[in-house]
Amino acid sequence: MNRNFLIGLLYLFLGTAFAGASAFDEANQQFKAGDYGGAVATYEKLLSTEGPRAAVFYNLGNSYQQLKQYGPAILAYERARLLTPRDPDLLANLALSRKAATAFEDAGLHPQMEAALNYLSRNEWSWLIAGGALFLGTLALFCGLVRLPKRGQRQCAAASACLAGLAIAAGATALYLRRAEASRGIILSENATVRLSPFDQAEALGTPGPGRSVHLGAQNGGFYYIEVPSANLHGWLASKDVAPITPESLPK
Amino acid sequence: MMLRDCVNAFMAVTMIFLCSISPGRAAEVEAQLDRDSVPAGNGAILTLRISGGHAEPPEIPAVENLIVQSRGQSQQVRMINGQTTVSVAYTYAVGSHTPGVYQIPAVDIVVDGKKFTTQALQLKVLDSGAAQAPPAAAPNAPGAQPAAEEPPDTGEKRFGFLTVEVVGSDRKHVYVGEIAPVRIRAWLPADSRANLRSGIQPEGKAFTLHNVSGQPQQTQEIRDGKRYLVVTWFGGMSATKAGKYPASLSVDATVAVRDTSAPKPQRRRMGGPFDDPFFDNVFDQMDTPMIQKDVTLKSDDQEIEVRPLPTDGRPPGFTGAVGDFKFDASEIPNDWKTGEPQQITTRLTGSGNFALMKAPELTPADSWKTYAGKDEFTAGDNASFSGSKVFQFSAVPRMGGKQEVALAFSYFDPATEAYKTTSTPPKTIQVAGADIVDVEPVAAPATKEPEKKVATLVAQHVAISPAASLVPLIARPAFAEMLVTAAVLGAFGVIFWRVRTRRDDPRRRARAATEKAVHEARESAGQCAAARDVTGYFAAARLALQHRLGALWSQPAQAITSAEVHARISEDSPVARFFHEADRHEYSREAQGEILPQWQALLDEALASLTPSTR
Repeated sequence: MNRNFLIGLLYLFLGTAFAGASAFDEANQQFKAGDYGGAVATYEKLLSTEGPRAAVFYNLGNSYQQLKQYGPAILAYERARLLTPRDPDLLANLALSRKAATAFEDAGLHPQMEAALNYLSRNEWSWLIAGGALFLGTLALFCGLVRLPKRGQRQCAAASACLAGLAIAAGATALYLRRAEASRGIILSENATVRLSPFDQAEALGTPGPGRSVHLGAQNGGFYYIEVPSANLHGWLASKDVAPITPESLPK
Repeated sequence: MMLRDCVNAFMAVTMIFLCSISPGRAAEVEAQLDRDSVPAGNGAILTLRISGGHAEPPEIPAVENLIVQSRGQSQQVRMINGQTTVSVAYTYAVGSHTPGVYQIPAVDIVVDGKKFTTQALQLKVLDSGAAQAPPAAAPNAPGAQPAAEEPPDTGEKRFGFLTVEVVGSDRKHVYVGEIAPVRIRAWLPADSRANLRSGIQPEGKAFTLHNVSGQPQQTQEIRDGKRYLVVTWFGGMSATKAGKYPASLSVDATVAVRDTSAPKPQRRRMGGPFDDPFFDNVFDQMDTPMIQKDVTLKSDDQEIEVRPLPTDGRPPGFTGAVGDFKFDASEIPNDWKTGEPQQITTRLTGSGNFALMKAPELTPADSWKTYAGKDEFTAGDNASFSGSKVFQFSAVPRMGGKQEVALAFSYFDPATEAYKTTSTPPKTIQVAGADIVDVEPVAAPATKEPEKKVATLVAQHVAISPAASLVPLIARPAFAEMLVTAAVLGAFGVIFWRVRTRRDDPRRRARAATEKAVHEARESAGQCAAARDVTGYFAAARLALQHRLGALWSQPAQAITSAEVHARISEDSPVARFFHEADRHEYSREAQGEILPQWQALLDEALASLTPSTR
């Protein structure tokens, strides 16, 4: 009976995996055939059922790009970037999309430092910190239990501890400098209007344009309080016109 | 006689002192009016500045119907490179109730015995009714009408405004791709304080602004009878598509201006021929409170026509350059070999959209294959509108033999509204080797509009990646759990290390061995006492004390003798007394007998005095 149960589980797992792969292939075929709207629907459905996958986000971004919907395209690329921050194809298409939408990111003061900070995703920096801390703890436990008789062994342990400490410091610094990304959102529509107060009839303050990266603040009814970096534009924007890069609706 | 000598000496010292602070340059006098015209009943400020010497207060010649009232004097002493300059400024309020043009005559001033004359000045006194109608009435100017008669300036331009002018051109239109040099000026009220909070930016999307000068110039200017602090930038504006668009610029600023709507303080009338109400406003100006506001200074919407570049007469080699350019220098090697690349360097100077300029073409084009190289632009002005650009690129000759080559560059000249092609003088070169026939000829430049490179999307991913969370680890509870685990592991490591180091401490181990030996000796002494073995009791008890003393004195227990104890420890101490008692019993040869309770008590007292805590 146990064996049957295990075989059933295996079939279920393989079936789910194959179903995901076949839906992905189907969406790719739709894209290839020029049915970008159909491809978008299939990719979105795949994401809602199978969870976030870098390749699906990337292909979804391409589909939106072909439909000239640059806001959703940039959003999909940004989400893919959370998972595969060094994918050159992704970075190239994201740059193309931003260029098409004229939604350029503000260059940092030190481009090399920006590149170093963005080399790893925030998730990877977090893992670096956690890994360094766990390594330090394990090393401390080992050194507490076992006496290291040789000087070379003690030096090796000290060097490892220093490296782990450096990794923790680097990760903490990177996460601190990129803390604003936790509340980043992307403007989805061309006519998204920033208003003085969270009402549809409130005075319009400006239209940031699709694909623009904004800082998301408090939520009030169907509105987000947003700030557009370097544009001195802040106010309330309808929730349908902006989406957080880290979505709450997708399975985590 | 002596008194006369003292006076002469004093005069000499005074002269030397005066000479020492006398100016390093000649005396100068200057007369200045702060404005050219005032409404009738208002006043202008006349300043007579005398520098480089000592002068008596000047006298202004009387002019019919012109009221002149002294407002005092101020003195300024400057020391520059050891040279001292003293200047005195005499200030007067001048005005009239009768409209007309008044000549303030030249004023004679005697400076250090030398006569100087200021220039004559002209003051136009306008009819007060007519002067207030146009905006040129300078409502904020010193000497303006009282608030009751003049409405306060509360318009949008009260805090300043921008103006944009195309420099060096009277054209009302521009061409697509053309960068028009513009002068942008922010006009801020002269008595205001301003802080710019943003850069200058176009209001619409039709125009873009380039190379705005980083260090703006600041001047004082009068516009419409009002004095302004003018901040001037230079830059270039360009349009990307044809049509008619409003060209407006804006800049965010925080500006503090005097609140002319605030009530004016009442002044006491002292009487006298020159006690006129219009002079009050000179002082009211200083008493008026400031109001500060975050504003966006904007220029007026000025519609500019953007024309497409004409297709007629467009040269084949045209790549989008708009402006006026010419070759400044070029360097083409004399000797070549077919199929082997060499570098060509050339420099183009002029004015226009240098950012869009591409390398010139090598002619005849079908004899050459060229490769993209590098270029470097050197700006000739603040706005990077004029300058020079050096191109370096490689070229490969395809035809052998003697040839005449030249560099050609085509551009559109917006001033003449025509395409032009400029070339370097033809140069004869020698190309060794046979013609290259297997290389495809270089395609002739397109005669239609230059093709824009369209970047295409990188292809779809075909392999599906595993699912992963978009939420970074730091935002998940697992992160905190990992850190807690690491901290617990570290804490355990520290605890184990402490335990291990305590366990391995040789001093602690020696102390434990001592205590064990003392304990065993006491046990032995107790057994001897029970067996009434006096000799054994004292031997064991002495051994217990020897162990304690050995640990204290860092000696072997057996090496401690009674003599050493008596030498190092006071005779009154319980240890010395016990050793003394033990010696006495040892030598008395009473092997059997009662162990008296006082001996037990003395032993306990001696051991207690040697316990580790009492050391």
